[in-house]
Amino acid sequence: MASKPKAHAASFGAYDAHEERSAEAQRRADRWMIPGTIIMGTAVLGIIGLPIFLRGLMLQIKAAREGLSVRPVIVTLIGYLVIIDSALNSLGWMMDLVANHTLINRILTAGWGALFDGGYFWHYNELWVGGAGAPGEKAWEISLILVVFCGRLAAGIGLLQMKRWGQQWLIMFCWMGLIVWIGYNLNMTIYGDVRFANITFPVWGWWVYDIFYITPFLALPYLHTVNREIFSD
Amino acid sequence: MNTPTEHELPLGTTAHYANMHKWLQRGLFVCLTALVLEASFTLPGLLIWFGWPTLSVVEICHELMKVRYSDDTAECLIPHPLFDPSEGVVFRKSAQDLWSIQPRPQYKRIGYRDLVRFRDERLTREAAARAVTQSQPSPATQQPLQ
Repeated sequence: MASKPKAHAASFGAYDAHEERSAEAQRRADRWMIPGTIIMGTAVLGIIGLPIFLRGLMLQIKAAREGLSVRPVIVTLIGYLVIIDSALNSLGWMMDLVANHTLINRILTAGWGALFDGGYFWHYNELWVGGAGAPGEKAWEISLILVVFCGRLAAGIGLLQMKRWGQQWLIMFCWMGLIVWIGYNLNMTIYGDVRFANITFPVWGWWVYDIFYITPFLALPYLHTVNREIFSD
Repeated sequence: MNTPTEHELPLGTTAHYANMHKWLQRGLFVCLTALVLEASFTLPGLLIWFGWPTLSVVEICHELMKVRYSDDTAECLIPHPLFDPSEGVVFRKSAQDLWSIQPRPQYKRIGYRDLVRFRDERLTREAAARAVTQSQPSPATQQPLQ
């Protein structure tokens, strides 16, 4: 064999080795970030999950600095954040839907309601489905868990895998956030007396507490301006 | 020119959107950290606000019921029998609501460790009521009428 094909083989080999090292570095980082995210999704254990997640993020940033081809940091943040956002929303609302008579729920959900949203305190557990009794609230809970948060969670996983469908689905489910925020807040405003009369931190307290759930509106400008060729078919 | 070259930019980011992506990334990081810390500290924060450890978790549940239904006898049923109607149904009538096309609750606003104060005030009221009852002669000890 001539030496030229050997040189080609050597360069392809270097490329393959680079790809392999990159994939291994990404897997290594994800091995920290996935359990970190699962723990953060439990809400109360989040303080334990956060350093585990950050350790994974640091490993990924370090790998990128070493020249390896890993996910962009912003994609990692968007992907894991929409998963956490979906998990926290679904966990809280599932407790209200099906675990509404447990002691922890009556402190966490109904107690939170007494401070931030009277819809979760006023005549709590008296509806035939239990949990929040505020007009419209149950319909929002069920439809948003089923339609928005399950889909957004799946889209987040697809995005983290750098799949094109993940980016497209996430754009779709993040735009649904517009309906979620406008519809949900209008419902609260229309039944404002039930939601905010005689609670500890009315309206402004709700906004301070809930503003960190605006993830979809931070993700959308990126998802629309990123070079979509980085996501594979 | 300080414009970053395509080589220095993260994968997928063009020079035109580099600044926006940088600020979005910062915002996302703040949101993630704040969301996780907030979710983590909500339960302990609520417990401390309501009066733990002076009040036990079960006592906090009872005190919340008393506030919700404006009734000193309202309590949480723990454990609650599966599929039974809420214990609150019994106290529904005592809840102070202004009923109209839009109901308006009239329960007490719960300030920092107010549930401890509500409990102490109730115990004082109950003790005073007991003292009044005990100071009155019971019908059995009264002299029969001649």
